[in-house]
Amino acid sequence: MLSIVFGDVENAVYHPPTYFDNTYLDEWITDPRTREMVRDVDKSEVVSARAIDSPFLGSISVRELSGGVKTLILMLFDDSGRIFNASSCGDNCAKWICRIAREKDLTINLHHVMDFSSCDGFEAYMINTGRTVKSFEEYLDEALSIEER
Amino acid sequence: MRGSHHVVVQNRRVRFEFSVRRNVTIVRGDSATGKTTLMSLIEAYDRLGDASGVEVVCDRRCVAINNANWEAVLASASSCIVFLDEDVSAAKTPEFARRVRESDNYYVVITREDLPNLPYSVDEIYGIHTSGKYADLRRTYNSFYRIYEPDEPREMGPVETVITEDSNSGHQFVKAVRC
Repeated sequence: MLSIVFGDVENAVYHPPTYFDNTYLDEWITDPRTREMVRDVDKSEVVSARAIDSPFLGSISVRELSGGVKTLILMLFDDSGRIFNASSCGDNCAKWICRIAREKDLTINLHHVMDFSSCDGFEAYMINTGRTVKSFEEYLDEALSIEER
Repeated sequence: MRGSHHVVVQNRRVRFEFSVRRNVTIVRGDSATGKTTLMSLIEAYDRLGDASGVEVVCDRRCVAINNANWEAVLASASSCIVFLDEDVSAAKTPEFARRVRESDNYYVVITREDLPNLPYSVDEIYGIHTSGKYADLRRTYNSFYRIYEPDEPREMGPVETVITEDSNSGHQFVKAVRC
């Protein structure tokens, strides 16, 4: 289940890419789900735990993955209990956030109204208002009414 | 600082080419389009100059700021193009907005968040797109595109009222509505 909290909250990581650079584990990178996210979002291939093949930048390190993919990997693997700012993710990451939230209870922090229109059967618990939205349209109405955003 | 300034930032792998036209330009869009790469090139050139291997061509100095140095840099920067990435949380603060208003720099802000303290034009919100390989086919060519094109019809539901504010009013209307 996906839970969304807008605005500044305790225990949130405002810039997940920096947190990722200092906390990621090699096994996170070679996980098949990570490989798939890197392929889809960054159009790159995971060669090994320490090397990525990018069509734009050549051979790059894990630290040069996009901020969006780094944030997705944290959402998938980090077990510190921290909440990650999904505003570091572009809308092309939205479907992955929904997919991760189908595997586990996931709470994300947002500072903008993310476009989840690409997510089939979108459903989320809106922490700011205590309401569960069952479609992208309901989410939009609810999100736009939240002042903290 | 006035008018449009053309900026080319490149190394052997990537080339970014764009113009900034107003004092605040917003860059957002999908992940992995090169926003952070652009920032790291600007930052490397600002720190090391030609010795960075980065080439920056612009009639104004391009500087990068971060959470730790933004106040010090803005205190001395004049007629510069100032770049800041989405990790600069200070961008949301009234203090940052005041410094922007009082300076003669242009600002390129990478963020998906709304910045209610900063007056910026909807026409100056851009994404980055890759338009193919450049010249020798080893370098990727990237440019800015306007996210909100006024001439394009947009899909939207029934609209009862459209409220607009003149570009020169500096948030007077919005402030009045909020009160």
